[in-house]
Amino acid sequence: MHVLIINGSPRVKKYSNTDKILDSFTSGMKETGAGFTQYEVSDRKQWDEIRKKFSENKNILIALPLFVECIPGLLMEFLESLEPKNDGTKLAFILQSGFAEGVQLRCGEEFLKMLSERLGCEYCGTLIKGNNFSIRLFDGEQRDNMTAPYIEMGREYAQNGDMFSDKCRRFTGPEVFPFYVRILLGALMATFGRIGFNRFAKDWGCTKRLDFRPYT
Amino acid sequence: MVLIVNTTPDTSVTAEIAKYTADAGLDAKIIEAAGLKISHCIGCNHCWLKTPGECTIKDDYEMILKEIIHADQMWVISDTALGFIDHKGKNIYDRIMPILTMYLKFKGGQMRHVMRYDQRTDLGLIFRGDPDRQFLDRWIRRAALNVDSRPLGVFSTGEIKEAVSCMC
Repeated sequence: MHVLIINGSPRVKKYSNTDKILDSFTSGMKETGAGFTQYEVSDRKQWDEIRKKFSENKNILIALPLFVECIPGLLMEFLESLEPKNDGTKLAFILQSGFAEGVQLRCGEEFLKMLSERLGCEYCGTLIKGNNFSIRLFDGEQRDNMTAPYIEMGREYAQNGDMFSDKCRRFTGPEVFPFYVRILLGALMATFGRIGFNRFAKDWGCTKRLDFRPYT
Repeated sequence: MVLIVNTTPDTSVTAEIAKYTADAGLDAKIIEAAGLKISHCIGCNHCWLKTPGECTIKDDYEMILKEIIHADQMWVISDTALGFIDHKGKNIYDRIMPILTMYLKFKGGQMRHVMRYDQRTDLGLIFRGDPDRQFLDRWIRRAALNVDSRPLGVFSTGEIKEAVSCMC
């Protein structure tokens, strides 16, 4: 199995959480002997080549971050330029987000199903998982630990050719957090979460409060 | 104030809206965005963690952002593609991130960002073309949740009167 992988994140590869997720996911794919070629939508210079590969490949995986409940504007711009296929091409997706609960990604998932049809491809499912915002805030082993669960999903996808297995489905985690978890997490986010984000902001050279209002 | 952002080159739609809103005595501000320079969101997170509230991309979207924080409603007029709004329409919503902060909370049982300003801006959509209308309706409801506001619905360019009846 050879897969065309399109990283649909508008963020440059170096800082792309989706790219780090794909690093783990593809290492799982490779364990099964599957091969892949990866392209980045964030690099417009690659668009002609991606369009060509899209028309040639029968197994395609698009990985993307959720942007306002659907796909990022830049990925939309790229997809608008594709010719529908209608040749039995299998199209699967990895949809990831910052928000942690599965329910946050269902609207985007519905679009990806519809998108497959509109592109004349067979929909092969969407691997859904949130809580990925902070991948870029960490390096090395800490970051690898965050994306490590995707290794097994890469194996699953390479073996099944789709994202429909129970393991892929369960990978999403809870649709919503139970009430007591929300109370606890809410308290943590309002305290330690804010301290943590302020620390990262300071590292990035931020000199203002994170709730600063630049416009009046 | 009702903010209307037209990302299509068709100004007959905004002319119709201008007429109806004037008749109704509404405070409407129309921005013709088709000729403006508006990039996609690059997801850099600087508006949350480096220059809070300010987009790192210095283009014509800044003037829209400055209007949004005073708008009771924002309507985007968009062309459609692949069943959804096209990238020009989507970019207007994607670039709204600076009005959110990095801080998180739970609302309605789901994680949300804490808003930066007191103003709440309800979201509406006017589309041109043949999208999956049911999906658009689901999407605008979800999009409004992200900015702690209400959805105003989705209307085709043939239903301007109906859309204006939701403007206030």
